[in-house]
Amino acid sequence: MAHEEYVAADGGWIRPEILSDPALYEMEKERVFGRSWLLLGHVSQLPEPGSFLRTFMGEESVIVTRDRSGAIGAFLNACRHRGFQVCQEDRGTAHRFQCRYHGWVYGSDGTLIGVPGEESIYYKEIDKRRWGLAPVAQVDIYKGLIFGNFDPDAPSLTEFLGDMAWYLDVMLDRREGGTELLGPHRWRIAANWKVIAENHCGDEYHIGFAHGSVFPPDLGPMRATPIPGAREIRPGLGHGLGVNIYPDEMKPEEWLNSGINSAPPHVVDYYVATHDEMVQRLGRQRAHMTLIHGAVWPNFGMVPIVNSLRIIQPRGPHEVEMWSYCLVDRDAPPGVKAWLVAQSAASFGPAGAFEQDDAGNWAAVTKTSAGNMARKIPLNLQMGLGHEERSDRFPGELGLTASEINQRGFYLRWAQDMFGSNAA
Amino acid sequence: MSEREIFRQLAVQRWLFEEAALLDARRYDLWLGLLDESIHYRIPSRSPMPQQDVKDFSTWSVERELDAHDGVSLIDDDLAGLHRRIGRLQTGMGWAEMPPSMSRRLVANVLLRDVAPDGKISVTSSILLAKTRSEERVFFTGERRDRLVPAGDGFRLCERCVILDDAVLVAENLSLLF
Repeated sequence: MAHEEYVAADGGWIRPEILSDPALYEMEKERVFGRSWLLLGHVSQLPEPGSFLRTFMGEESVIVTRDRSGAIGAFLNACRHRGFQVCQEDRGTAHRFQCRYHGWVYGSDGTLIGVPGEESIYYKEIDKRRWGLAPVAQVDIYKGLIFGNFDPDAPSLTEFLGDMAWYLDVMLDRREGGTELLGPHRWRIAANWKVIAENHCGDEYHIGFAHGSVFPPDLGPMRATPIPGAREIRPGLGHGLGVNIYPDEMKPEEWLNSGINSAPPHVVDYYVATHDEMVQRLGRQRAHMTLIHGAVWPNFGMVPIVNSLRIIQPRGPHEVEMWSYCLVDRDAPPGVKAWLVAQSAASFGPAGAFEQDDAGNWAAVTKTSAGNMARKIPLNLQMGLGHEERSDRFPGELGLTASEINQRGFYLRWAQDMFGSNAA
Repeated sequence: MSEREIFRQLAVQRWLFEEAALLDARRYDLWLGLLDESIHYRIPSRSPMPQQDVKDFSTWSVERELDAHDGVSLIDDDLAGLHRRIGRLQTGMGWAEMPPSMSRRLVANVLLRDVAPDGKISVTSSILLAKTRSEERVFFTGERRDRLVPAGDGFRLCERCVILDDAVLVAENLSLLF
């Protein structure tokens, strides 16, 4: 099977069937979710030895733990006896996980520490060292974010993130104390995971129209004309983001008081007061940048302009479970955190003024793509094709405010992972 | 129940039924008129939690499941926030309600919990909200914890907390109010 059947060599079109075909989805389980670095959580969610959280890698339940030594690890949430989930809670503190089916017990480092009847009915013959929870092959942390990879041979997290890391720092590394992750909101959408991930990755075009209800009428349609200082950036490797770039002479209070970013005085004061720290840590160039939206391949989406991070958990070819978090500076005052959390929920999440309108679009795209006729008819991704630019100030390639540079990068990465062809 | 209590129960029930009817009829303009300017409308997130002491049913409480993970609410609106929420629907681009959802609110188990010295009534009720839109048919159930302040012949709503019976919403959005 050649990838050209599904994604144009230049990324300029895709066949909709990739958004709905069950056989391709089965392949994605291995070739995408089985080999990529997937976001598991944040160190702030595991504050002490024994802290744990439950999440998913693809559709597979995983526990992420901080063991007695303080080390963070991740394990398949499946007893080695019959596969029942040994952890039934979203988050908590425990040094042992006992399966409810037959009572096998595991430590927070995954080791099998107890088997009921070990002496009497197993004749002391079971080798407990061989039957610990299956570890996620690689776990690594980037500035607080915990990632896992099922593939022991996968390139390192640093290599996987590539130039995207330079941009992620803008939200993760503003301050010495780093960040904390709050939430999540969780809800189901009848959409293929890629429809949602590509939207996060690169879709500035829809903002003025799909989210027209949120913008004043004079601001809505402007996304169809380039905004000075706002760019789509393709760092490569399937990642993508959109940013606002402010001139060196501009003061942070000026951009903090514009657009949907508009914040009350105590929040503006906080960002103004911490601006120098950010300049010191990241340099003026990144301190004068806000991230609007973005995605780390494959299913880690973000809307940093409202401090929202999301994991798009696949649930079969036609459904996802959205996990939407709020990311805040750990050392921000409580009043600032409270405002950021409220602003995040008022705009994104299931009741958010923006995201309410997204879900129906994503579901409809998925539905259409399953049609026997429609699934073969290519969809156009040509916006800005051939007009990508380079800049010595920003790693990666640049497009205008509205450009499908990042969707092309996203689907070419998909083709690369699935069929081994060259990704942009 | 005293005659006075029966009267109050009926008056509160009737107000809740009329309020639900306005939302079913999509008369958000009239619904906004039922709100006190101090309104706080909140839907906390909810997460399953183990019992602290399994033998003690008082530790099985719903309270422990609310805001269990960092207190990130699904909705946390004041009056201005609710006006924005409703105003969005009138822009002609509030796609989640174009065309509007068909919806039905069944309000039951109305229990008056407390009447404060300032006259504010604490009332809880159970709600079933059924919603049909496009190809999605969803049902939400929950408890509403309201505070009503007497006003004229009826009441104004000054506080509502909606406790949904879901940890993961099986719904593409929360485009309707409870």
